Amino acid sequence: MTCEDAHLHMHDYISGELSPEICDDMFDHFEACEYCRNHFHEARRMAAGIGNLMQSTAPPELHSAVSRILAGG
Amino acid sequence: MKNEVVRNQFDEEVLQHLDGLFGYALHLCRNREDASDLVQETYAKALKSASQYSLGTNARAWLFAIMRNTHLNEIRSRSRKPVGLAGEWIEELTRKDVAELRKFGPDPEATFMDRLLRHDIEEALSKLPETFREAVVLCDVQGFSYSEIASTLGVPIGTVRSRIHRGRMILRHLLTDWQKHSGGMETNDL
Repeated sequence: MTCEDAHLHMHDYISGELSPEICDDMFDHFEACEYCRNHFHEARRMAAGIGNLMQSTAPPELHSAVSRILAGG
Repeated sequence: MKNEVVRNQFDEEVLQHLDGLFGYALHLCRNREDASDLVQETYAKALKSASQYSLGTNARAWLFAIMRNTHLNEIRSRSRKPVGLAGEWIEELTRKDVAELRKFGPDPEATFMDRLLRHDIEEALSKLPETFREAVVLCDVQGFSYSEIASTLGVPIGTVRSRIHRGRMILRHLLTDWQKHSGGMETNDL
């Protein structure tokens, strides 16, 4: 696997979309390539940060407004 | 009685996505008031189109598609272009894509990704072109599969994959650039 391939696949992996067979090849590549390994860890941290930090909770008044909309149907 | 059961089931399936829809609306509208209005409009339209939804299927993708279409229609009606910056460097980065990888290579010692604040990510996301932003938000914030994103955005899965990949690359560059120029980190953190 080339570095370019590994870079493309790592984003599919982070998205939970990479097939197990390719996954094994990708991690074999990371074992051998420090550059891609570091890039992978960084990309994974960033995606996790986005996922954790950007969660939102609807305010109570919006809950009430939506409940009224559904009740009026 | 049957109608009431169906109706309760419908309400239950759509209401569980309220937080996610509100989060997506915040990304689309960039302010809480408009986001709240968009959520309510989305639920009103969903209720009107309830007969088009099959209970027990993918309410989330259905609702998000309604929200996105509602938002796009609103933008068109105001004759306004979607918000999003596309500086020259972004165009360059997206064209060259993987070829740019080595230019913006990882810093193995940098741990700033672990200490990002919501504000940092909001800033970076706001500078991401809309096309990439919506794909990254649906994937990384909402946890959608590529297939669900493709369905919501009405584009092929390959396009979704490419947008997420490129969107993350641009985001990473924006966050790294911010980190280097904001003075938000001590030198010994690097």
